[in-house]
Amino acid sequence: MPELTLVEAINLALARAMEEDANVVVLGEDVGVNGGVFRATVGLQQRFGAERVIDTPLAELLISGLCVGMAAQGLRPVGEIQFMGFLYPCIDQLVNHASRLRNRTQGRLSCPMVLRTPHGGGIRAPEHHSESTEAMLAHIPGLRVVMPSSPERAYGLLLASIRDPDPVVFLEPTRIYRAAKGQVEDTGEALPLDVAFVLRQGRDVTLISWGAVVKETLAAADELAAQSIDAEVIDLATLKPYDEETVVASVTKTGRCVIVHEAARTGGFGAEIAALIAERGLTSLLAPIARVTGYDTVMPLPRLEQRYIPSVARIVAATHKVCEFA
Amino acid sequence: MRQFLLPDLGEGLEEAEIVTWHVNEGDRVVVDQPLVSVETDKAVVEVPSPWSGQIARLFGAKGDLIKVGAPLVEFAEGERGDTGTVVGELGQEEKAHREVAAPAPAPARTLQVLPAVRALARKLDVDLNLVQATGPGGTITRADVERAAKSLAEAGPAEPLRGMRRAMAQRMAAAHTEVVRTTVTDEADIEDWQKGEDVTIRVVRAIAAACRAEPSLNAWYNAEAGERRLIKRVDIGIAVDTEGGLIVPVLRNVGERDARDLRAGLDRLRADAAARSIPPEELRGATITLSNFGMIGGRFANLIVVPPQVAIIGAGRIDQRVLVHNGAPAARRVLPLSLTVDHRVVTGGEAARFLMALKADLERAS
Amino acid sequence: MADEGLPVIARFEVHRRSYLAPDGTVLRPLPDFASDMSKLLALYRGMVLTRAFDLKAVSLQRTGRLGTYAVSLGQEAVSVGIASAMREEDVLLPSYRDNGTLLWRGTKMEEILLFWGGDERGNLSSGPAHDFPYCIPVGSQAPQAAGVAYAFKLRKEPRVAVCLFGDGATSKGDVWEAMNFAGVHKLPLLFVANNNQWAISVPLKLQTASQTLAQKAIAAGFIGEQVDGNDVIAVRAAAEEAIAQARAGGGPRLIEALTYRLSDHTTADDAARYRPPEEVQTRWKEEPIARLRAYLVSQKAWGKAQEEELAAECQKEIEAAIERYLASSPRAPETMFDHLYAELPRAYASQRGELSRGSDA
Repeated sequence: MPELTLVEAINLALARAMEEDANVVVLGEDVGVNGGVFRATVGLQQRFGAERVIDTPLAELLISGLCVGMAAQGLRPVGEIQFMGFLYPCIDQLVNHASRLRNRTQGRLSCPMVLRTPHGGGIRAPEHHSESTEAMLAHIPGLRVVMPSSPERAYGLLLASIRDPDPVVFLEPTRIYRAAKGQVEDTGEALPLDVAFVLRQGRDVTLISWGAVVKETLAAADELAAQSIDAEVIDLATLKPYDEETVVASVTKTGRCVIVHEAARTGGFGAEIAALIAERGLTSLLAPIARVTGYDTVMPLPRLEQRYIPSVARIVAATHKVCEFA
Repeated sequence: MRQFLLPDLGEGLEEAEIVTWHVNEGDRVVVDQPLVSVETDKAVVEVPSPWSGQIARLFGAKGDLIKVGAPLVEFAEGERGDTGTVVGELGQEEKAHREVAAPAPAPARTLQVLPAVRALARKLDVDLNLVQATGPGGTITRADVERAAKSLAEAGPAEPLRGMRRAMAQRMAAAHTEVVRTTVTDEADIEDWQKGEDVTIRVVRAIAAACRAEPSLNAWYNAEAGERRLIKRVDIGIAVDTEGGLIVPVLRNVGERDARDLRAGLDRLRADAAARSIPPEELRGATITLSNFGMIGGRFANLIVVPPQVAIIGAGRIDQRVLVHNGAPAARRVLPLSLTVDHRVVTGGEAARFLMALKADLERAS
Repeated sequence: MADEGLPVIARFEVHRRSYLAPDGTVLRPLPDFASDMSKLLALYRGMVLTRAFDLKAVSLQRTGRLGTYAVSLGQEAVSVGIASAMREEDVLLPSYRDNGTLLWRGTKMEEILLFWGGDERGNLSSGPAHDFPYCIPVGSQAPQAAGVAYAFKLRKEPRVAVCLFGDGATSKGDVWEAMNFAGVHKLPLLFVANNNQWAISVPLKLQTASQTLAQKAIAAGFIGEQVDGNDVIAVRAAAEEAIAQARAGGGPRLIEALTYRLSDHTTADDAARYRPPEEVQTRWKEEPIARLRAYLVSQKAWGKAQEEELAAECQKEIEAAIERYLASSPRAPETMFDHLYAELPRAYASQRGELSRGSDA
């Protein structure tokens, strides 16, 4: 089986989707001739033509609005926004239209679109290229928000997102575009949306994460194992709607929980998970729920960015505190 | 209100039939805006508005005949209210809620317990207030609960405090937090007392004498106002131990009554106390208190001053002791005395002087 | 100009189209369809019905039986003229002031009332299923129109997307981005700028310094035409031409329909706060229904009997629709969840259950 990087897995999934369904259309800046600034769409225009792989003008709002119109007409557009930092002009089309087209037409029209964008920092990029504001999107009724953490899950979840009849924002962790490698076969098999993946079973504490920091979380679990703390690691994968059952079942079992996300702390998606656990798992808790997150600041420029992103050491320390609580 | 009358439409017509209205009551219209189409012999004619304004009333419905010169439309005076929006409706002002600033909360002693541990305590029937916490930040751990469960299994059943015991618990707690106690002790040599001397009455009269000598201990202190009242009359609270618990009925005006009267009064109070028939007013208004605990046992004690009083005297067990008397060791009967005062109000000197006066009075021969 | 010798490398022209003067007299030879009186009568009826319906809707709002409503008083020719040039398979992306277009294309009056009365089922319109519903965020339908038109082009379908918006919308990036893209890809897309001179209280001169809205198309690489929006014959003619061209692969066009908003912005607005009544009074003289009526009468194609009959017909139709609207009951609250996603995710089933049990907890 070939070993692919995460971005190669995305490319594979896009090609597969376009092959299977003539309605799938890719659009964005530099996606055609250039194959995308991260090479996520490399080779697609050569294979499927410029009509289906469109180099759009520099206009993010347009890209998202085009997706809404195309999707309403039965195409399956996959728009690319070059960085999450440039997603914000799309908020109008995502919130006011894509997420609610089905509802406001009572099913007469629907919006099966995907908007893909690189997520998160740690690539020594200039300002505005390291955003992680997934919590904002996860708040919107009618949207799906998906974030893979491995090449296998990137392939399977992107296929699922493209085939899904509702709008999906697909956030791709930039930091592990090339760093993550995995065995990915082009089976055309999708992974389920709305389902969390238990990457590591454990008895003592539940670690919940998504995106690039799943890598650090798994590394922390290894370190903890050497210290006789048996951690269960969950990759949430779909943030909206998320797999409440898996989260609650795990915390009921372990009684302790640490949530890890790169995004800023306050109002970060970890807060929603903590609230859910407090609602449905309170009597199982043996320690307060901990969150290891980015700080409530703008992600700093490259010299300091590694101090912002949750490190293995921070995750291990927080887990110790939780396990030694009482 | 201005009325617009149907104008002369020409050609000698006297009336016209309303075909269709183009405006509603309540509409704002401008000059020349078509108000209504009416039918004459020849044609359907639009009647334009003569003024700008708001339509208050339309006269006639479709099919009605309106005479020339008769009212067609009535205009309202005045402006339409500003809705303050372009969509939806803004609600009218309701009565504003009065915001009442909450008083500063008393610091509560909250139990730090995790829900799982709380559930365990419930299961083991452990009162969390009895558990000693050893967890971080004063948290009660599972181990703490289990330990408490074990101890409680070996203790007697829980017994709620009722009645006098409950009142005592509350009163003592309150006194403890307020009063700054200091105690000074001594012994009175009562070898020279007559046989059969009425000890309690002798003591209360000695207290009255001491109050005359040092009036500052027969007083009430109002801590909030920072005021002290020296009181002339000496009303002594006598601590009485009953089956139900401690009560302190008041023997009034000790300074002015003779011994027999005082004894009668005291007996009556004791009887009523034993019978639990003391009226509440007999328990109020003591200016100073005597605890005769020596009748049961013990010599000296650190007593509780009950506000608003500022002093309490303790009479210990009368014993024979070897003292130095007239330069030589001798066996003498002594009455141990304890004086506890509220040092916010009573100085050490005043306390000492009082105690000396008390002792001196007690050491007089009967 | 500093250097007179510099070559001029671009100029532009904007044409203005009109056929009937405000008093109904003919200014120039009428287009072909105008010789078919039945077509003109249909346009007239469409405008009269729209206005009568609007009026009734306002009185429902004033009596608390309808929510905020936007009438199109004075703009009926734009709504009806554009609609009449479209085919059923074309896709309409309206604003929120295009009820005349919706009615022409088959939306029922009670559906319009149901929507503005506060029920999403109003958007389950009886018009073409592929038409977009009202668009409240101004101009945001424009990029969507470009997406729709792109789909037609990709699938090689002879269909056209028609995007209606107002003068205010032309200040938004959305509209520019859509026009720009439509020009690059020669999309089968008609943009109609319904220039009623006012964006709530902001007059055109504060909206843009451009002499016309039509010329904004030139920057996007295609033709922009100005049309007397109160002349329904001109509106229809311009739309027919633009749509035919788009359908044939000739690319997009922008029509600026010059008209005037004779009413308040919505039933909650009071335009007297910001514009003088004298101005409105003057503009009434140019209104579209009287204009066409004058022409029809001059052609002996219309008279009092027909006017009466039409008024009665409209009233009957409208009353019946209102009755059906008022008789409708609200949806069960749990239906809020029914079209949230294609399939309701498990995570939200309990919330739906709460609503269906009627509990608030």
